[in-house]
Amino acid sequence: MEQKLRSEARALLEEGKVDWIIGFEPGSLKFTTTPLITKDKNDTERLVINPFITNNLANFLTEIKGRVGIVAKGCESRSIVSLIQDNKVARENLVIFGVPCPGIIDLSKLERLAAKNRDELDEITREKDRVIIKADGKTSEFPVSQALFDHCLACELPTPKEYDILLGEPTPPIANPTAQESIKKLKQLVPEERWAFWAKELSRCVRCYACRNVCPACFCQRCFVEETEPQWVLPAPRWQDNLIFQIIRNIHVAGRCTDCGECERVCPVKIPLRSLTREMYDIVGELFQFKSGMDKDADPLLTHYEEQEAEDFFR
Amino acid sequence: MKQETEWQPRLVGFLCRWCSYAGADLAGTSRKKYPPNVRIIKVPCSGRVDPLFILKALRLGFDGVLVSGCHPGDCHYQTGNYRARRRIAVTKSFLEYLGVAPQRIQASWVSASEGGKFADVITEVTEGVKEVGPNKLFSERQGDGAETTKRG
Amino acid sequence: MAKKINKRDIIKLLNQWSKDFAIFAPSRESGVAAMAKWDGKDTEFLDWYRNTVVAPKANFLPNMEEMFKFQKDKEGYRIELPPDGEKQLIFGIRPCDARAMKIIDNNFKGLYQDPYYLNKRNSAVLVGLGCVNPGESCFCTSLDISPAESDDVDLMLTDIGNELLVEPISAAGKKLIAKTTGLKAATKNDEAKAKEVKKTAYNKVTRKINAEGIVERLTACFDDQEFWEKVAAKCISCGICTLLCPTCYCFDINDEIFRQQGTRFRSLDSCAFPVYTKMPMENPRAEKWKRVRQKVCHKYSFFPMSFKDIACTGCGRCVRLCPVNWDITQVINSVPAKEAKKRVKEGGRG
Repeated sequence: MEQKLRSEARALLEEGKVDWIIGFEPGSLKFTTTPLITKDKNDTERLVINPFITNNLANFLTEIKGRVGIVAKGCESRSIVSLIQDNKVARENLVIFGVPCPGIIDLSKLERLAAKNRDELDEITREKDRVIIKADGKTSEFPVSQALFDHCLACELPTPKEYDILLGEPTPPIANPTAQESIKKLKQLVPEERWAFWAKELSRCVRCYACRNVCPACFCQRCFVEETEPQWVLPAPRWQDNLIFQIIRNIHVAGRCTDCGECERVCPVKIPLRSLTREMYDIVGELFQFKSGMDKDADPLLTHYEEQEAEDFFR
Repeated sequence: MKQETEWQPRLVGFLCRWCSYAGADLAGTSRKKYPPNVRIIKVPCSGRVDPLFILKALRLGFDGVLVSGCHPGDCHYQTGNYRARRRIAVTKSFLEYLGVAPQRIQASWVSASEGGKFADVITEVTEGVKEVGPNKLFSERQGDGAETTKRG
Repeated sequence: MAKKINKRDIIKLLNQWSKDFAIFAPSRESGVAAMAKWDGKDTEFLDWYRNTVVAPKANFLPNMEEMFKFQKDKEGYRIELPPDGEKQLIFGIRPCDARAMKIIDNNFKGLYQDPYYLNKRNSAVLVGLGCVNPGESCFCTSLDISPAESDDVDLMLTDIGNELLVEPISAAGKKLIAKTTGLKAATKNDEAKAKEVKKTAYNKVTRKINAEGIVERLTACFDDQEFWEKVAAKCISCGICTLLCPTCYCFDINDEIFRQQGTRFRSLDSCAFPVYTKMPMENPRAEKWKRVRQKVCHKYSFFPMSFKDIACTGCGRCVRLCPVNWDITQVINSVPAKEAKKRVKEGGRG
C-alpha cells in the first residue's frame, strides 16, 4: 500500500498533474508521524501509512495554492468534501488517495493501559483486533477497542467515499459504543453541574488556539477572537471567555465538523473538547438529518433550509 | 411609595426591523400591557443575529435573550429568517447540553400586525426567565483569580 | 556539605517550609501536570513526575496577571495596585526550567525592571529535582545544561534510591536548610551514588542539536525564503510551542473598561499568531514562513546576540506537544554551515 502510494505520488509530480503532494512521513518521536507537504518528487519516498497517522491533512488545503495530491483517511475525505461544499477547494484541483482507515492508535490510552510513558515503550504493533506493546522485554496485548481514539471507535465513514485512488480494501465502521461514554456521563449531570464541569475544564485553557488551527473547518482569515471592534472576547484566558470561544467555535463549525478528534488530541492541557464537538455533530444529525462531508454537491448546513423545520423552538 | 424588592429579570430582545419591531410598536400604540423587562435592539433581519450576540448578552449578565423575526415565508429579505431558524435551533440545543436553562434563549415569529402576540410573547418569556432565576452563569466561581491576581 | 532525606520524610520538610513560603509542587489535580499549590499531603509526584506541561515560569509570569485597577473621578485617575503575593517555594523544578528562569531574567531585569515579575522572582526559592529518566524529547545537554545538576536553583535534590541527596547551591539555599530539621548528613557513599545517577541521566539524553556557531549560521541563511518556507510548511501557527515554552515571555496588555473604571491585564502572547505583528497599515509577518523564521532566530540568534544565552533549554515541550510534530532540533540541525551561499530575495529585506 505504501509502495503504491509512493510511486503514484511521484508519478503525479513528475507528470506535472499536481503541484503539491500532502501526506504523512515518519515523525521525529517514536510512534508519531508528521505531515509531509512537498513539491519535490524525491520526498515522496518518505510517505507512510501506519496506525499513527493522526493529523487531518485537509487543514492544509485552505492554505496551499495550486493542484494537490492528498492522502485522505475517512474523516479527512469528509473534511475535504466539506471544504468543497464551502467552495474553499475545487474538486478538479485535487487527486485524493483514499485510505480505508481501521482506526488510529491513541498513545494516551496506551500509556494508561501499559502504565508507562510513551518513550518507555519499545514497540507498538497492530494485528487486526489486537494491539501488542513491547516494553522492558515484556509483551502485553490489548483489544483494539481499548487502544484506538474514541473518534475512531465512533467513526461513521472509515473508507472514503470521495477519492481518485483507493489504497487498500474498504473497511467497515467499528461502531463501538464506549466512544460515547464521556458525553453520556455529562448528560446524566444536572444543568448546574454540567456548566460547572465546563467552567472547570476551560479554566486550564491557555488560548493557544491549537484546536482552532488544526481544524480544517476553521479557515477564517480573521477569527472572531481576534476582532477588536467590537471585542467579543478578551485575549486574557479567563474561563468565561475560553468557554465562549469554544461555544462559538463549535457553532461556527456546525455541520462542517467531521469528528476527526484532532482538537481534543492536540490540546496541551487535555480539555475534553470532543465532548463538545461530537455533541454538536449529533445535534446537527438529529435536528436536520445532516451528516457533514458526505455529498459534495450538497449545501452546507447553515446556508441550507427547508420550508418546514425546527419550528418547536419558536413561539 | 412601594419599593420593588423582588428581583426583576433583565432581558434583551433582538427584533427584526420589518416585522417584529413594528409589531412591538403596535403593541405600544394599542396600549397592550406587557412586562417592562425587555431592552430592545433593532436589527435589519432576524438573520442578522449572530450566536455571538446571544453569548455576549449572557456574558454581560442579561438573564434572557429573545430573537424575533418575520414568519417563515414572509421575510423581507426572503431567506433571512430561515437562516436564523437553523442558527437559533443549533445554538439553543448546544447551550442546553452545556447546562444553560432553555428558558434563557427564546425565539418567536411576530409580524407587524401582531401587537397582541408580541405582548403575549414578552409576558411568557419574562415569566419563564423569572422561574430560572438570575443569570449567574459567567459570574466568578470559587477559586477564580486566586492564583493569577494576588501574587506580586 | 551535602545532606540527605528519606523520600517518605519529604512531607515533613515541606510542612516546615510552608510556614514561611507558599509551596508549589508538581500535581496532576487539574488534569494535566502543572506546578500547583501543595495540598499538604501529596508526595506521589516523586514517582511519576517527568516535567510539567505548563512550565514553572507561570509562577512568575502568569498567563493572566492583573497590573492595576483604575477608577476615574473628577480629580483624575485613581490607580490601585494588586496586593502583594506570598513568597513562593517551587519544589521539584527541573534544571531546564530553572535555567529558563535565569534566561528570562535578562528581559525583566535589564534597562527596565519589571516589578510584577521581580517581586515574585526575588522572593522565591527554587528547590531543584534532578531528572533520572529524561524523556525522548529532551535535549538539554546540547545547550550546556545537565539533567541532574543545576547552578540555577537554591537547593538541589538528587534521587539516590529511597533517599534524596540535598545540596545547597546558593546562599538562600544554605539559609533554608540551616533551620530545617529532619535532614541527615550524607555519607561518602551517598555522594558517590549521586554522582553516578547524574552521569547516567546525562548519558540518557540522546536527542542532540548542533548549536555550534548557530548565531552565524542563522544570520547567513536569514534571507533564504525557500529554506524557511520548507521549514514552515507544516506549522499551523497555533501558540503551543511559545505559550508552554519556559523561555518565552512575550505578553499583551489589555484594558477591560466598564464605564468609569477598569482593570489593566497582561496575558501571554505568541509570535506564532498571525495578528502578533498586525498594525493598522501593515503586518510585517503576515506570511507564515516569516513568523517561523522569527521564532527560530529569536531563540537561537537575536537573543544570544543581546544576552549571550540561547533562549532555549532543551526541555522538549515544544517537540512533544506540537500538533504536527514540528521539531526545533531538526530545524536547527538542518541550518547549513556558515559557508553556505546567502540567497537574497525581495531586494534583500527578509
